[in-house]
Amino acid sequence: MDLLPFFKWCDQTALANSVRDSRFIFPIVESIHILALTVLVGSVVVVSLRLLGIGLKTMPVGELSKTLAGLRNASLAVILTTGFVLFASEAVKCYENPPFWIKMKLLFTAILFQYLVFPLVVRTDREPGRLAATATAVVSLGLWFGVGMAGRAIGFY
Amino acid sequence: MTILEMCQWLQDTSIGTQIRESVWTFPILEGTHLLMIAISVGTLLTMDLRLAGLLFKRQKVSEVTKAVMPISLFGFTVMFITGVFLFLSQAVKAYGSIYFKLKLFFLLLAGINALVFELTMRRTIHSWDADPVPPFRARLAGISGMILWAGVIAAGRTMAYNF
Repeated sequence: MDLLPFFKWCDQTALANSVRDSRFIFPIVESIHILALTVLVGSVVVVSLRLLGIGLKTMPVGELSKTLAGLRNASLAVILTTGFVLFASEAVKCYENPPFWIKMKLLFTAILFQYLVFPLVVRTDREPGRLAATATAVVSLGLWFGVGMAGRAIGFY
Repeated sequence: MTILEMCQWLQDTSIGTQIRESVWTFPILEGTHLLMIAISVGTLLTMDLRLAGLLFKRQKVSEVTKAVMPISLFGFTVMFITGVFLFLSQAVKAYGSIYFKLKLFFLLLAGINALVFELTMRRTIHSWDADPVPPFRARLAGISGMILWAGVIAAGRTMAYNF
């Protein structure tokens, strides 16, 4: 399936036009995007390091993750919303941008992993095994770091 | 030597020139810089939220600090080093950018905020360590920290639009 028509449509929406017409909207939305990314990565790092046995050891990892869930969900919601606005304003440009596609693949994998696999390992009713904990932390960190790096690369390509 | 001349000299050093003219070094430095901001400020945020009395209320402040500080400092160190290299490669432009100055200003305030906290509230921490909501001055330090770091990041990002 070719997504080009969809990208072209996004590029022509009133939202995309108003972002392009303003000198300020894009930088402001992007700053919010990056601030939310900082919050998300921070909360992922704290839980992942705890899974690797570093950090808040006085707290069970499931409880730690639950404490940070609100921050994680809220920041992800902000990232996706602002990200869509940024994308729409240069959708056709993104279509031809390899780092954009890498970022999207990593992003969808990261979200699926975070909400489907992660909760199976990190639970409040029992501590995860050594191997499962390490693997989850490494995959989670790798995916989210990858999203960030590929995202930065969009602007350089 | 004026500051501007110094920036010109820094930019003309072989390391500054190499970074500026490279295909990969600049993007890699900048990607790493961004990631380290996320790591250091993101983890610092958990500490600030604890100080503000908003999160981890059942954990001692010192416990959260002890757990988070090493990661945050590691991130800060790498961020600082990559930041110096990025600056070297475009010192003159940075010098002329109001956002770069704003970023340094926020960074300085964030440093002062942390220093004041260390010199005053940290000394009495034993008396409020376990309080779910710490005393006003500790909450103020936590909230100021979050706002100032947000300022550093937003100014840093905006800087690039004017280059």
